[in-house]
Amino acid sequence: MGQDGFTAQKRGSSTLPTSTAPNGGSRSSRSLLRGGGGNRQIHKTLNNIKITILCGLVTILVLRGTIGFGSLSSDNDLENQAIIEETNRILAEIRSDKDPDDPEENLDQTTINLNDTYSLGAKISNWDEERSLWLSRNQDFPNIVNGKARILLVTGSPPSPCDNAIGDHYLLKSIKNKIDYCRIHGIEIVYNMAHLDKELAGYWAKLPLIRRLMLSHPEVEWIWWMDSDALFTDMVFEIPLSKYKDHNMVIHGYPDLLFNQKSWIALNTGSFLFRNCQWSLDLLDEWAPMGPKGPVREEAGKILTANLKGRPAFEADDQSALIYLLITKTEWMKKVFVENSYFLHGYWAGLVDRYEEMMEKYHPGLGDERWPFVTHFVGCKPCGSYGDYPVQRCLSSMERAFNFADNQVLKLYGFRHRGLLSPKIKRIRNETVTPLENVDQFDIRHSAQGTSN
Amino acid sequence: MLDRILGTRRTRQFQRIIRNGKITLFCLVLTIVVLRGNLGAGKFGTPEQDFKEIRETFYQYRGKRSEPRRVLEELQTTTEQTASSTTNNYAEFDINKLFVDEEDDVKKNPNEPYSIGPKISDWDEQRGEWLKQNPTFPNFLNANKPRVLLVTGSSPKPCENPVGDHYLLKSIKNKIDYCRVHGIEIFYNMALLDAEMAGFWAKLPLIRKLLLSHPEVEFLWWMDSDAMFTDMAFEVPWERYKDKNLVLHGWNEMVYDQKNWIGLNTGSFLLRNCQWSLDLIDAWAPMGPKGKVRDEAGKILTRELKDRPVFEADDQSAMVWLLASQKEKWASKVYLENHYYLHGYWGILVDRYEEMIASYHPGLGDHRWPLVTHFVGCKPCGKFGDYPVERCLKQMDRAFNFGDNQILQMYGFTHKSLASRRVKRTRNDTNNPLEVKDELGLLHPAYKAMKVPDCPDGCLEPGTSPEKWRRGFRCTTRRVQKKKIREHGAHESTQLRS
Repeated sequence: MGQDGFTAQKRGSSTLPTSTAPNGGSRSSRSLLRGGGGNRQIHKTLNNIKITILCGLVTILVLRGTIGFGSLSSDNDLENQAIIEETNRILAEIRSDKDPDDPEENLDQTTINLNDTYSLGAKISNWDEERSLWLSRNQDFPNIVNGKARILLVTGSPPSPCDNAIGDHYLLKSIKNKIDYCRIHGIEIVYNMAHLDKELAGYWAKLPLIRRLMLSHPEVEWIWWMDSDALFTDMVFEIPLSKYKDHNMVIHGYPDLLFNQKSWIALNTGSFLFRNCQWSLDLLDEWAPMGPKGPVREEAGKILTANLKGRPAFEADDQSALIYLLITKTEWMKKVFVENSYFLHGYWAGLVDRYEEMMEKYHPGLGDERWPFVTHFVGCKPCGSYGDYPVQRCLSSMERAFNFADNQVLKLYGFRHRGLLSPKIKRIRNETVTPLENVDQFDIRHSAQGTSN
Repeated sequence: MLDRILGTRRTRQFQRIIRNGKITLFCLVLTIVVLRGNLGAGKFGTPEQDFKEIRETFYQYRGKRSEPRRVLEELQTTTEQTASSTTNNYAEFDINKLFVDEEDDVKKNPNEPYSIGPKISDWDEQRGEWLKQNPTFPNFLNANKPRVLLVTGSSPKPCENPVGDHYLLKSIKNKIDYCRVHGIEIFYNMALLDAEMAGFWAKLPLIRKLLLSHPEVEFLWWMDSDAMFTDMAFEVPWERYKDKNLVLHGWNEMVYDQKNWIGLNTGSFLLRNCQWSLDLIDAWAPMGPKGKVRDEAGKILTRELKDRPVFEADDQSAMVWLLASQKEKWASKVYLENHYYLHGYWGILVDRYEEMIASYHPGLGDHRWPLVTHFVGCKPCGKFGDYPVERCLKQMDRAFNFGDNQILQMYGFTHKSLASRRVKRTRNDTNNPLEVKDELGLLHPAYKAMKVPDCPDGCLEPGTSPEKWRRGFRCTTRRVQKKKIREHGAHESTQLRS
C-alpha cells in the first residue's frame, strides 16, 4: 500500500504537493496516514512493549509479595529475619542428632549376630546377700524410711530435642507433675537422658537403666519405672506396698487377658515396680534377649506377632516381650502381682473426659476409675511428628490431665486453675495471718502421714 | 467499525483514551501491590495470609464456625469435619489455640496500694510452735543440714523459641540430679500467682507463699531456670550462714559503696524461713507492681544505681537499692558470698571447662570448678536474647554435659565429649558392683546420711510400730553408736534456729 502511495505521488503533478488546498491537505494526511502505516506499527509495537513491561513488573512485585522480600525490607525486619534464619539453622543442627563424634560411630555398625545371646551385664548371683550386707554396714542409708520402703522413680526422654516444640513442652509439664507427686510422697527421681546401651535403644532403654540403678543404689527397695507420657492424676493416693510384700514386680494388667487371650496389651510396661533383688536381676536377664536392635529385634517381633493376640507387625517391644515371657515361663508369675484395683497405669481415652464429673462426685485418694492414680497417654507420642490419635485430642487431654493434677497441688497454696484448659490460676482462699491452720488442713503429707502402709 | 459511529478522529481519540486508561489501570495496580508488599509483609501479613483470612471470613459468613474453638468449647472428641482438627501431625498444630480461660481476670481497684499479703508479725513464734507439734517434719535433717526447698519455674505456655522448652527440660533435669544427690526438695512453679507481679517479680509472691505454706523448710533456694549446676559434689556450707537470713552472690563494696546494679545477683539465692524474711519481702515488693509504679521505680533505680540502663524496675536492682539505702536495717543478716559461685556468670566460665577437667576436680564450687553456671541474658525461651543464639545454645549444652558427667560417672559412664549427647563407659561392668567406689562419693554422701536413732528407748517415730521400725533399722548397741559418732563426727540434736 505504501508503494501505491509513492507511485501515486510520482504519477501526480511534477509540482511538489505543497499547496494547502483541501485536496492536497487531505492527500497529505492520507499519505501521512499511509506513510504512518509503518509508524502505526512502530507505535503499536511500542505500546505492546510498554504493556509487557508493566505486566512483567506487576508479576515480579506480586511474586515478591507472596514469596517474600529480600533486600527491600527495612533494617529491623532484616535483622529479625537474619536472627530467625540463624535460629532455624541451629535448631535444625541440634535436632538432626548429628554428633561431633559421629564419623567414628558410623564405621563400626556391627549388630549382634542372631546366634549370640545378648547380655545386659556381668552375671550376678548373690545380689540379695550382697545387698543385705551393705545395708547392715550402712545403716544411715536404710531401705525403709519413716515406715515406708524407699522408692526410686525412674523416667526419661531422648537426649535430642523433640521433632516439634510442643513435645518438649509436654515433657516439661510431665516432669513437673512427677516432681510434685514425688515431693509430696518422699520419692526420689532419676530423669534419664542418656542411652546407656546402644543396642537397647528406644523402649528397651529402660532395661539397662533399671539394672544399673538397682546395683548402684542398694538402699532403694523399689524401682518404679514410669513413661514420660504418663501423668499422676491422684496426688493423694499412695501405693499400698504392704500388699506386695511377697511379690517382686507390680504391673498393671488383667490376668484373663494375659493367660486366656494372650493379648499383647494384657500388661502395661509404662508404669511398673521392681523390687531390688536377685529375682529382678534374673528377670531382666531373661527379658533382654529380644531387645538388641537389628535382626534380633526384627525376628523377635515376628515371633511375638505370631503368638500374641492383636499385635500388629513391628519389631519387638518390651511390653510384648514381657507378656510372652510370662505366658511361656509361668514360674515367673509367682512373684508378679498383676494389679488392676487401681490405675497404676490408666489408659487416657476413657478417663480424660470425666474429670469434671470426678471433681463433682469424688475426691482424691481413691486411685481407681473414680479418681485415677495415673493417666497414661499411650499412642499420643507428642515428642514425635505423628501420633496414633488426632493432635487436638491428645494435647487438650494432656493439658486437662496436667491441670487436674496441678489443682490438687495448688490447693495447699489457695489457688486452682481457671478451667482445665487454662494456664491461668485464681484464688480459692484468701490470704490470712495464720497460714498454718491451712497447712494442717490442706497439706497432703499430713493426711498421708496418718494412713498406715 | 467505530470509525462509522464516531468518525476517524474520534475513533483515534477513543482508542488513545482506552490505551491510556489501560496504562493507568496497570500503574494503579502496581502501586497498590507495591504498597501492600512493602507495608503488608511487615505488619499485616503477606498477601497469602490475607487471602487465607479472606477465605476464612468468607467461610464464616457461610455459617461454619472456626473448628478449633468449637472443639474446645464443647470439650468433645474429634470427629470433626475439617482436616485441621483431625490432623495427627504435631507440626501443623498451633498450641496457642488450645488454651481456654474459663473466667476473666479479677479487676483490681487501681486506687488500692499494692500489698503482697496481710502483714504477719509473729511468724517465728507460729512456726516454732508448729515445729514442736510436728516432730516428724523437722527443719534440720541432721545436725548441720537444714531442710532446703529449691524453687524454680517457667511459663505455663510453650516457649516462643522452638528449642526453649528443650533447654528448660535439660535445666530441670540438671537441678533434679543435684537435688537428689544433696537431699534437697524441688518446687517447679508454672503458675502466675499475682498478675501484677509478673515477669522477674513473679518470684516474690511465690517465695512468700511457699515460706508460709512449708514451715518445715528452713532455707528456700530460689534458682532461675537459666542457671545450671556444674559442680555436683559441692555442698553449700550451711554452718557459715547460721546467723544469716539471706545469702546472695555479690560483693560488699559493689553493693554498699558503689551501688552497682550488678553488685549482687538474684538469680540464685538462699532465704531463711523466718519473720525477717517476710519483712524483707514486704520491703522489696513495692517497686514490683507492673505499670506506672514499675516504670517510675525504674527511673529512680537508674538514677540511684551505678551503670544501670534505662528500663522498668527489676527485682535485682531493687534489692541493691534496698540494701544500700537501708543498710542498718538489713545488712547484718545478709551475707554476700563470693568465695564460691552461688551464681556464676557464664561468659567467663564456659570456655574453660576442658581446662577445669584437666587441672581440678568437683567439690570446689569456685572459679576452679563453679557450682552454678548462670546463663544471664541468653533467654533461650524467648525469641531474642542479648547474645548470639548459637553461642548461648552450644554453651548451655556444654555446661549441661559438664554437670551430667559428674552424675553419669556414678554409674560408670561419661559423655563422649562436652558437645556430644552420646555416652560411653568409663569402667567395665563387674559382678561386684558394691565394691566399686564412685570417685566423688555422690552415691551415698555423708550429708545425706539419715540420723541413726538412739536405741532402744526413745527412738520410735510416732506412728510406726516397733516391728516396722526393727525391720528397717538394725538395733545397734550404744557402744557401736558412740563409735559411729566418733567416726562421722555427727551429733544428734534437733535445734530450732530462729
